[in-house]
Amino acid sequence: MNATARHRMTAAVRLLPLAVLLSTAPPLSAQTSQRQAAPRNALVYFHYPLDGLRVPERFTVRIGLKEMGVAPAGVDKPGTGHHHLLIDTDPGPPDQPIPSDYNNIHLGNGQTEVVVTLPKGTHTLQLLLGDHTHTPHRPPVMSQKITVYVR
Amino acid sequence: MRRLRLQLIVGVTAVFAAAMPASIAQERARTRSPAPAGAKLAFVDLQNNARIASKVTLRFSITGMEIAPAGTARRNAGHHHLLIDTELPPLGQPIPSDFNHLHFGGGQSEAEILLSPGRHTLQLLFADHDHVPHDPPVMSEKITVEVMAAPEEKPRTTAAPNAKVFFIGLQDGAVIPPRSVVRFGQENIAITPAGTKQDNAGHHHLLVDTELPPLDREIPSDFNHLHFGRGQTETELTLPPGEHTLQLLFADHEHVPHDPPVMSQKIRVRVQEASATAAATPPPARAASGRTPAPNDAAVYFIYPRDGTRIFATSTIRFGLRNMGVAPAGVVRPNTGHHHLLIDVPTPPLDAAIPADLNHIHLGNGQTERKITLPPGKHTLQLILGDDQHVPHDPPILSERITIYVGAAAKRSARR
Repeated sequence: MNATARHRMTAAVRLLPLAVLLSTAPPLSAQTSQRQAAPRNALVYFHYPLDGLRVPERFTVRIGLKEMGVAPAGVDKPGTGHHHLLIDTDPGPPDQPIPSDYNNIHLGNGQTEVVVTLPKGTHTLQLLLGDHTHTPHRPPVMSQKITVYVR
Repeated sequence: MRRLRLQLIVGVTAVFAAAMPASIAQERARTRSPAPAGAKLAFVDLQNNARIASKVTLRFSITGMEIAPAGTARRNAGHHHLLIDTELPPLGQPIPSDFNHLHFGGGQSEAEILLSPGRHTLQLLFADHDHVPHDPPVMSEKITVEVMAAPEEKPRTTAAPNAKVFFIGLQDGAVIPPRSVVRFGQENIAITPAGTKQDNAGHHHLLVDTELPPLDREIPSDFNHLHFGRGQTETELTLPPGEHTLQLLFADHEHVPHDPPVMSQKIRVRVQEASATAAATPPPARAASGRTPAPNDAAVYFIYPRDGTRIFATSTIRFGLRNMGVAPAGVVRPNTGHHHLLIDVPTPPLDAAIPADLNHIHLGNGQTERKITLPPGKHTLQLILGDDQHVPHDPPILSERITIYVGAAAKRSARR
């Protein structure tokens, strides 16, 4: 992930819910209304690792969440959600369920940490909270995209 | 008092100087570095006849002279030597270097040493760049210390006289299948995870086919001594067919049995293949306690703050959870629970719902951090996971009880 894209990501986090996340995202889709509301000061963040850190191939990602609670997927409760760890990928459109694949790791049982194994090199990590249907909240509760160096 | 001791040292020195053969004294007089009259060498905070631990850090104080590494010739300077269980070496020659004469040629002014139990003598001797004592020699009083045997140093955690541990549903002489669940009970003593220090509390150990270990030290950890350091009250045991013995032994936060020791009777069990015992004794049902089962390797812990740290009066306490998930209260999902933050209270009973009050903070919406405000002083924090009904799991998922300090850092300056 190059520097400009990262810059755009952080700017997008600040400008939400305008949420023109990527040039490829449908420009008006963010207005869909079924998404759960999130408190304005809600924040998801990394306890570990931090941006720019060198990490071993196998490490534990520890996740912090401010002003909201964690609930397993499928549990419909206001002010809660479950974590998703995005590896080397950008968030999709915010009104769509987060895909489930090797780059979008769902912590559907309410986990707040996950052990990941990554090949050597530079990787990006980003956290995104999803509601009971795996759809991001409104506004999306999302961390900065961080870069780690796997040695 | 200190002045008196100094005079004594000067007196002793004079005797030594007189006792030395005149020829050597004359010959070496040129090579020995001079020392100022007021130079003083002493141990810091260590009195004669002190009782000390076997591993101890000694600190040296030199006044009237400076410390220079060995090899650096400088006026009124030198480096420390520690003499252990030995007389003064000849003062006209370099100090020997061996286990009884420790050199601190790097200019160190403290050292951690390990002494065997018993009485020892310690003395400091300053010497110049060539390891030769000064003229007059600068040395400390020779002091005697008594090293206490390790187990006596620290009293064992006390237990109530009527405290007991026992097997639940397993009698002496019982016949069990190769894989069976063994459950433990305890009375008049509380369960805390290993690492949490509390009187009349501890965790279970199961001794399999072995005699009692020494009761004044840590219980070994091997296939014959099973530790249940997270406060488990049952385990699945796999034993080969045949006769075996089982015994429970309770131990404190450091795995040392209590005073008096709390242990069960040693029972004998016969292990038979399942076909033979199918009708005899069905294995107890998993989580017969009625509590929600939790994975054996799950753990809850503090991300912030750490044990023993000083925090602001208003701080955000952050929780970590390993190998389980978080779910709001009321949500029934396997391997999930919600956090409870216990402030300044002992561990509640593990078989009932966690109380809800100002000291037992429920994070019922699945929160993983909480901002709290505490009055100045010392406080304890502990985390415990509760199931959908706020009842701890089986085994209970609870953190160590950590101690934190709130307020200005007055304690640190007082200690120094």
